[in-house]
Amino acid sequence: MHRGRPMPISDEVYFLCMLHNIGMTAPEKSLTIEEMSRLTAIEPSKVEENLNKLLKAKYVDVKTIYGTKKYFITVDGIRKVLSMYS
Amino acid sequence: MNICIVTWEYSPRIVGGIARHCEGLAKALVKMGHSIDVITLDFPGASQYEEVEGVKIHRTSIELGHPSFIAWVFIFNHFMEKKIAMLSKDVKFDVIHIHDWLVALAGIAAKHYLKIPLVLTLHSTEVGRALGLNNPDSYLIDGIEWWATYESKRVIVTSNSMKREVEEHFHLPQSKIDVIPNAIDTSKYHVEVDREAVKRRYGIAPDSRIVLFIGRLVPQKGVEYLIKATPKIVSNHPNAYIVIVGDGWLKEHLLSLALSIKHKISFLGFLSDSELIELILSSDVLVVPSIYEPFGIVALEGMAAGVPVVASNVGGLAEIIEHDRTGVLVYTGDANSIAWGVNRILSDSNYARWLVENAKRKVQEIYSWDAVASRTVEVYEKSYGEV
Repeated sequence: MHRGRPMPISDEVYFLCMLHNIGMTAPEKSLTIEEMSRLTAIEPSKVEENLNKLLKAKYVDVKTIYGTKKYFITVDGIRKVLSMYS
Repeated sequence: MNICIVTWEYSPRIVGGIARHCEGLAKALVKMGHSIDVITLDFPGASQYEEVEGVKIHRTSIELGHPSFIAWVFIFNHFMEKKIAMLSKDVKFDVIHIHDWLVALAGIAAKHYLKIPLVLTLHSTEVGRALGLNNPDSYLIDGIEWWATYESKRVIVTSNSMKREVEEHFHLPQSKIDVIPNAIDTSKYHVEVDREAVKRRYGIAPDSRIVLFIGRLVPQKGVEYLIKATPKIVSNHPNAYIVIVGDGWLKEHLLSLALSIKHKISFLGFLSDSELIELILSSDVLVVPSIYEPFGIVALEGMAAGVPVVASNVGGLAEIIEHDRTGVLVYTGDANSIAWGVNRILSDSNYARWLVENAKRKVQEIYSWDAVASRTVEVYEKSYGEV
C-alpha cells in the first residue's frame, strides 16, 4: 500500500482501493470478477475471496444482469478508500 | 472577483476537513459578492452541476482508471484541468485556489494556460500525515507539495504550527505564507436534541455519559490512545461510554485493541451531517487525541456545540484551545493524560460548564467564515496581477 503504513492493511482493503481507482464507484460502472481480475492482475479466486469480505462489510454491492454478477463499490466503500487517501 | 476553487472533496463527498473548509469559504465568498466556481470530483447521488447558495459546483467524472493510487490522482487531475479549461471559455477567472496536493497538478497547469495567479491552501503535509516519508509514493507526494508551494503565488496555512512546518520542510520564504484559520458555522448547533433518543438509536444506555471521538481512523488521529485510556476513565466513571465516529484503514487494528472493553465502546462508522450534530450535542466530552494536527476543526465543532473538549497539546489544537479556559490540553500520545483530562471534566460539572462558556465565546469571536473569507480575499488581492 502507499504512504508508509506502520502496519500492513488487510488484503481486502488494499483490493478495495484498487477497485476504487479503476473506477467501480457506481452501479453503471460495475464489473465482473473476470474483468476485475484482468484490470488488477489478481487471480479470479483471490478476487472472489476479497469480494466476499467486502460484501460482508458492505463496502461492495452486487447486481445480477442476465445471470452475470457485477460488482461496484458502495458509498461507504468509497468513503473508506478516501479516508485512507486524505 | 471570479474565483475558481479546486478541491478533491466537496459536499456530499466529505472525507476530512477540506470539504467543510471549501464549502464554508465558498459560501462566505459568495455572500461578499464574489463569483465562485468549485471544481471537484463526482460522487454517487450528486449531480454533475448544481448551484448551492450561489456557489457553482462542477463535479468531474473520471473516465479512466488504474489500480495505482498515484496514477488515479494524475488521471483525475487531467479531467479537472479539462473542466477548468472548458469553463474558462465562459468565465474569466481572476485566481485559482487549490486545496492540498491532490489537485495541485490541475491547478498548476491552469495557472500557466490561463496566466492567472495560483493560491494554495496546504491543509497538511505528507511528512506529517504519513508520520515520515517511507516509500516512493510518499516521496512523490512530498515532491508535489513542494512543487505546488513553488508554483503558487501565495500559500495559506491554517495555523502557526503549520506555517513553521511548511517554512522548514519546503524552505519557503516566510513572506509567501499567510495564516488563516479554519472556521465553523455555529448556527447548525442551534437545534434541540432528545439526548436519550439519540443514545437509544446507537444502543447506548440513557444514563451513559458519552466520550466522543470523530475523525479518520488513521495513526495521526491517535485513536488508540483514547482506547487505551478507556479502562482508567471507566474505573472512575462507570457510566462513561466511548463512541468512535469515522472509518479508516486502521479500523481493524483498533477493533482488536478494544476487544477487552467492547461493552464500553462503539464504532459507528460514518454518520451523516445531521446524525453527527445530534450525537455531538448528546455527548459529554469530545476527545481529539491527534499526534499530528495542522488545525483540528473537530475541536471547533465541539466548542461550538457546547461540548467540553480534551485535545492533544499539538499543532493547531494547541493554538485553538487555551488550557483550563476553553478546553483541556493533554500530553500527545499519552493514554494516562487523556484519561486524566476526561475524568477531570466528567468529575466537575461546574468546571465543564466554565470551559464550554469560554469556548463558545471564542469560536463566535474568531472562527467565523465571514472573517476567514475576508482574509482570504486579501490574499487573492495580494497575488493578483503577479503571475
